[in-house]
Amino acid sequence: MQNKLSFHQSSASLEIIGLPDYSNNENNDQISIISQWKLAIVDKPLIEGKIEHLGPIMDAFYVYSNLLIKNEIPIYQSKLIDIKADNLHMHNIVLKSSKPNVKPLVLKIGNSLLSDTINCFDQLNESPKVRIKKTDIPSDISKKLRFGLIKKVNFFNFFIPPFIAICSLILFSSSFIYFYSPVENIEKKEFINPE
Amino acid sequence: MRKSYVTNNIKLKEFDALIRITVEMSKYLYPYIREILKSKEDIEENSVIWNDFNKRFIELIKERFNIDSMRVKKLLNQAENDEIIIKSLLILSFCISNQGYQKLKNFLYIF
Repeated sequence: MQNKLSFHQSSASLEIIGLPDYSNNENNDQISIISQWKLAIVDKPLIEGKIEHLGPIMDAFYVYSNLLIKNEIPIYQSKLIDIKADNLHMHNIVLKSSKPNVKPLVLKIGNSLLSDTINCFDQLNESPKVRIKKTDIPSDISKKLRFGLIKKVNFFNFFIPPFIAICSLILFSSSFIYFYSPVENIEKKEFINPE
Repeated sequence: MRKSYVTNNIKLKEFDALIRITVEMSKYLYPYIREILKSKEDIEENSVIWNDFNKRFIELIKERFNIDSMRVKKLLNQAENDEIIIKSLLILSFCISNQGYQKLKNFLYIF
């Protein structure tokens, strides 16, 4: 008897079917050996496949969503799936079958369905009952970026006061240039008329 | 960007706390965020939702932000603000899971 687990988010639902790994002393309700998965999106054809397809498809969605936010050209292409943005609101998904002579499945989904699908994948990633190769959310933000956020303020605080002080000194001292200096003038006149 | 005469620099702890609050809020508001995103997909059918949201967004910006700032002016510009709003809503809708805090933090660093 196979176990079935479903993850729902608004218009999308993901179903995982499989068995626990008894050799690893797992509970009966656990799924470690996935035999099938199905992704159902309202008003769209059912997407199903084998375990080896699930990981790449999840990765494709995650990478694509990152590209979409990053202001880069949102195009993801692989052997199994292509995702391309029609515009800011609609996304074109092409699912290529691994079987020969099967036409690729083309889906058009909007932002709402895209976020529903990604949230279904998030639920699967976080579920303690399913053991799959999790798609990692990078937790290490590069040191350069961190430094930029934390130290940006300190850097300015450190350099701006002396900079303003130097500027004000220059301005203040430059005003003295225009003061009349009679001693200098007398000396100059003496040089011109030595009589 | 805010309409304030006091310039307080945000501390890292406060920044983290704000992210946590935002993630919790977006979990509750996900159905609304989703509807707003959906309304923009088919503008002729659901234009009322998008127009209402956009109107209120601009009202709040004018009320609370320094409208003399160039960045705020960009937010108020109807032609330019659509992309910023859509991307902000998308970021919120992608971060409603338990790991949403980490996801939102990452998105903010790359946005």
